[in-house]
Amino acid sequence: MNTKSHHIPETEKFWFSLDNAAKIFPAIINKEVTSVFRLSAVLNRPVQIEPLRKAVLRVENRFPYYKVQLKKGFFWYYLEHMPRHIPVEVDDQPCCRKFQRGHLLIRILVWNNRLSIECSHILADGGGGLEFLKTLLILYSKACGCNIPPEYDVKEEDIEIPEEEYEDAYKRYFREDVPPMVKRSKAFHLPFPLKPPPRFRPLTAILPLEQVKRVASEKGVSITVYLIAVYLYVLQEIYENQGGLNKLRSKKILRVQVPVNLRNIFPSRTMRNFSLFVMPEIDLRLGHYTFEEIIKTVYHQVQLETDKKLINKNISRNVGSERKIYVRSIPLFLKSWILRMKYYALGTSQYSGVVTNVGRINLPPETEEMVSHFIVVPPPPNKMLKINCGIVGFKDKVVMSFGNVTISDEFESRFLRFLRDQDISVEIEKS
Amino acid sequence: MIRCPYCGVELEENANYCSLCGEPVRPHAAGNHLSHLGSSKGKREHKELTEFHRLSGLQKRMIFWKISGIILLSGMLIVFVIDLAGNQSLTWSKYPLTVSGILLVNATLVAFWYKRSFLLLLFSFLSVAILLVLLDIYAGNTGWGMQLGIPLLMAAYVVIHVFSVLIRRTERKGLNVLAYSLTVSGVLCICIDGILSLYSREALHFGWSLIVMVAVALISALLLYIHFRLKRGTDLKRFFHI
Repeated sequence: MNTKSHHIPETEKFWFSLDNAAKIFPAIINKEVTSVFRLSAVLNRPVQIEPLRKAVLRVENRFPYYKVQLKKGFFWYYLEHMPRHIPVEVDDQPCCRKFQRGHLLIRILVWNNRLSIECSHILADGGGGLEFLKTLLILYSKACGCNIPPEYDVKEEDIEIPEEEYEDAYKRYFREDVPPMVKRSKAFHLPFPLKPPPRFRPLTAILPLEQVKRVASEKGVSITVYLIAVYLYVLQEIYENQGGLNKLRSKKILRVQVPVNLRNIFPSRTMRNFSLFVMPEIDLRLGHYTFEEIIKTVYHQVQLETDKKLINKNISRNVGSERKIYVRSIPLFLKSWILRMKYYALGTSQYSGVVTNVGRINLPPETEEMVSHFIVVPPPPNKMLKINCGIVGFKDKVVMSFGNVTISDEFESRFLRFLRDQDISVEIEKS
Repeated sequence: MIRCPYCGVELEENANYCSLCGEPVRPHAAGNHLSHLGSSKGKREHKELTEFHRLSGLQKRMIFWKISGIILLSGMLIVFVIDLAGNQSLTWSKYPLTVSGILLVNATLVAFWYKRSFLLLLFSFLSVAILLVLLDIYAGNTGWGMQLGIPLLMAAYVVIHVFSVLIRRTERKGLNVLAYSLTVSGVLCICIDGILSLYSREALHFGWSLIVMVAVALISALLLYIHFRLKRGTDLKRFFHI
């Protein structure tokens, strides 16, 4: 494992090329599809602003590679150091707003007892962002007088920053001898009409962990697999409730994109993007699926697709195409146009929705006491996807967040009704 | 600890204003020496200054279109009536009537096709081309409208469109804008020179425009060099990394 360390001085204008996953985002970002995700910690009492400011100063020293702006090169975009403080802003603007050119790609937002970070996917994925938020919370709790046990692994300041934390981990695990993945067929998309801009509107539902665990273990699967199965089941209901002509016109493959944190599969401490996707699916051309059938197929597909060798295949496809010299030497304006076309033609069209589960969050005991729950809001979906879903577990709660850009809340209603029918008490959080 | 009445964060006991959102947190704070700062909520509300500021872009364009329409149509009616009353036929009023009509067409295009830049440009060009042809017909139909007016107009539209696209796509504006505008002027001069020579001598001949072009090219190159040379922090390695 690479454990090289490198000190990034404040005065040095360091720069990185974008990691493999980030390369697509500058080409597709617009006012609505911002590629910005939000991670919120809802505290048990209002945020104390002075300790928070102290914590922010310390956390930005610990993560200097997050103080960067997006710059345009001739062949590629790149990230260049920007000696500015990470902004701490009042959280009274729309969620997941786009970052303007010439600004940092991360912001900290505060409202009453809610402390949030919003981060561009160009900079990091949920795993990196979560590590940043956890460190901020720990340093904040420290500034508020909490005690952090020495055995708890907290990212310390004043150390040499390991180069591994800001590496492009995809490149490290890329193997040239692996054949690329095959293309998938087009998937069903929700038929709901779009809202007028600004479209994005997240809805948060809090579920008791014990109850969700109970229903998932009754089926013999993990919480993630269970909720993906519910997602597909609801998509199937919506598909079947369409009028005759719409039903005929709709694609009959229901496929959900589920990001997988590769840090759990390949040893890496990178704080930038390092995730890939599995795409469990059901094919309605084969007929109606019962919930049990969906659970079974999702379980096996997730098992199969998270196999290390298959993940390797995916990495090789993504990184391999980027490494071809004729791809690299296309000027940026053409490359962006091609990427945008490919994203809509091959990317989004292949799946019906996104379910991202960042897993269960652990904090030191005294910091944990301060936090009620977390919320994960994935980046706003585009016009084709329309809805996505973020899941996070903390203490005795599972929090789901549905990001919706349509005028209909049918999907969320059906999803939560299904959970209520399983005797899970659902509490909707008013934002 | 005291709480901000707007954003709800906890502040130090001695705080007069919220350091996050700028809201005064004590009743007497509004009367102290910092009162000119006002409350952030107040500022936010003040930002929405007038009814006009609350309108969407389309609503603003509709207002512009209606006002332009009223002014132009009433002007057209007045000159038409005066000309008709004075001469019992249309004489001098043909000119202001035609120009006003074309202006009204362009105002309509801007109001309804603001975001369809290609269509807007195409129909705007066609309408102005019709204006030139009509002016030629009014002045005795010597043919300059078709042979000279429309080619010159086409060159101007294309060059100005290219310039506006270039400016829109330029991230860091500075001396480069001046360089682009000079270059575009030079190109326009070449077009004008070529079209004029075709019209008068029926052969393509460039004279004065080449001198203009060489001069602006040199000045533009110098301006661009200064602009990109001074582009802080952009070394070639990172800009051209592949």
